Amino acid sequence: MTTPVPVLRLPKGPDPNSRGFDPNSPRYIALCRTTVATTEAAGGDEEELQQEQHARSVLRERFLRCLLAMNNKKVSDLHTPIGVQKEALIRSQDVISFTFDA
Amino acid sequence: NKNKLFSPATVPAAAPTMAMRQTPLTCSGHTRPVVDLAFSGITPFGYFLISACKDGKPMLRQGDTGDWIGTFLGHKGAVWGATLNMDATKAATAAADFTAKVWDSVSGDEVLSLAHKHIVKSVNFTQDSNHLLTAGNDKLLRIFDLSNTDAAPQEIAGHGAAIKKALWCNDDKQILSAADDKTVRLWDRTSMEEVKTLTFNTSVSSMEYMADGEILVITYGKTIAFYNALSLELIKIAEAPAPINSASLHPEKDFFVAGGEDFKLYKFDYSTQEELESYKGHFGPVHCVRFSPDGELYASGSEDGTLRLWQTAVGKTYGLWKCVLPEDLGADNSEQMYGTTPEIKA
Repeated sequence: MTTPVPVLRLPKGPDPNSRGFDPNSPRYIALCRTTVATTEAAGGDEEELQQEQHARSVLRERFLRCLLAMNNKKVSDLHTPIGVQKEALIRSQDVISFTFDA
Repeated sequence: NKNKLFSPATVPAAAPTMAMRQTPLTCSGHTRPVVDLAFSGITPFGYFLISACKDGKPMLRQGDTGDWIGTFLGHKGAVWGATLNMDATKAATAAADFTAKVWDSVSGDEVLSLAHKHIVKSVNFTQDSNHLLTAGNDKLLRIFDLSNTDAAPQEIAGHGAAIKKALWCNDDKQILSAADDKTVRLWDRTSMEEVKTLTFNTSVSSMEYMADGEILVITYGKTIAFYNALSLELIKIAEAPAPINSASLHPEKDFFVAGGEDFKLYKFDYSTQEELESYKGHFGPVHCVRFSPDGELYASGSEDGTLRLWQTAVGKTYGLWKCVLPEDLGADNSEQMYGTTPEIKA
């Protein structure tokens, strides 16, 4: 008579809301360079560092406003991985990345 | 009550090896057949597994547990081939959208899209990850320099039909390719010329290359054949009970596994070619099977849309499998442990 080998749990399946590659995983933190590293201001120039931090927060805010502004926008000639959509309604939760020509 | 395997009274004083039944671990998530899979080498973060699927969304998983890490999004058609570089920092995929893509396998970002003239079936990195070999339905082998992506790839012509698989071999100095023209060919990378050809009566269904020992594993019909990868001399041949789509040799070369049209996985002894075990579990033909780099498990991909992980040494504690010793039984188990039947999915 045989017994099935016990298992601790089953393998984790995909997250339906995300493409994965958790940026908080040890591997990601160890191997992924941050896109724009903070400048190592020589001599610790406080003012320069503060200016840079301010600029970063302005850019972050602008990015978020851009995403919000895009939500529920009707667009035409939308290029997607499955082809060009003549007319489409943008829903933020479906967007993974975007570029546009102003 | 599945938590209680034996009542303590029936367990003899000297712990015998209990007859354990293989519990495959099912990795779900794909929605179409899984046609190819590949393991990375062993990295400081463990080893990884990539699966190619007709749903166009290749997935990366932790190799020893099958846990999903991420999905590479971007292809517009079925993905026929997938590979990882040795340290699992890059992935490459071959698809029906006429592109091969290179990905950052840590962030999941698409790094490069390489246009082809037809369906791409196979991708393979050199050991230094600087070059990518591609092959597919346009019958050409292409070598892309990944550090100089503006340059046109080198092209090698010769096959008379669609190429199924192309692999670097002999320390990346040569290339092995298998095509629907019923040949397997060995090419010199520098001269780009054909060195040797093997001709079969039927198309080869799969090909695996093992650098350590220079062994080539080829499957066709019900046959699993082992060749010397440098000379293309036949080493030995084994026959399975059913047509085989893929086979893999254990890193220590004591076993090989195969799977095919009867949905089962077969385990053979390499020295005697004797069939040792067969396992049911998949609900469709098995398209690919690969041993992990440490040989502790093998993964299979099937028409049923799942990947399954199988233990090489059934009953051993490894990954998610937990060996139960007789003295553990009857005690309060603080861990959740349960025996599963193959039908239970994540």
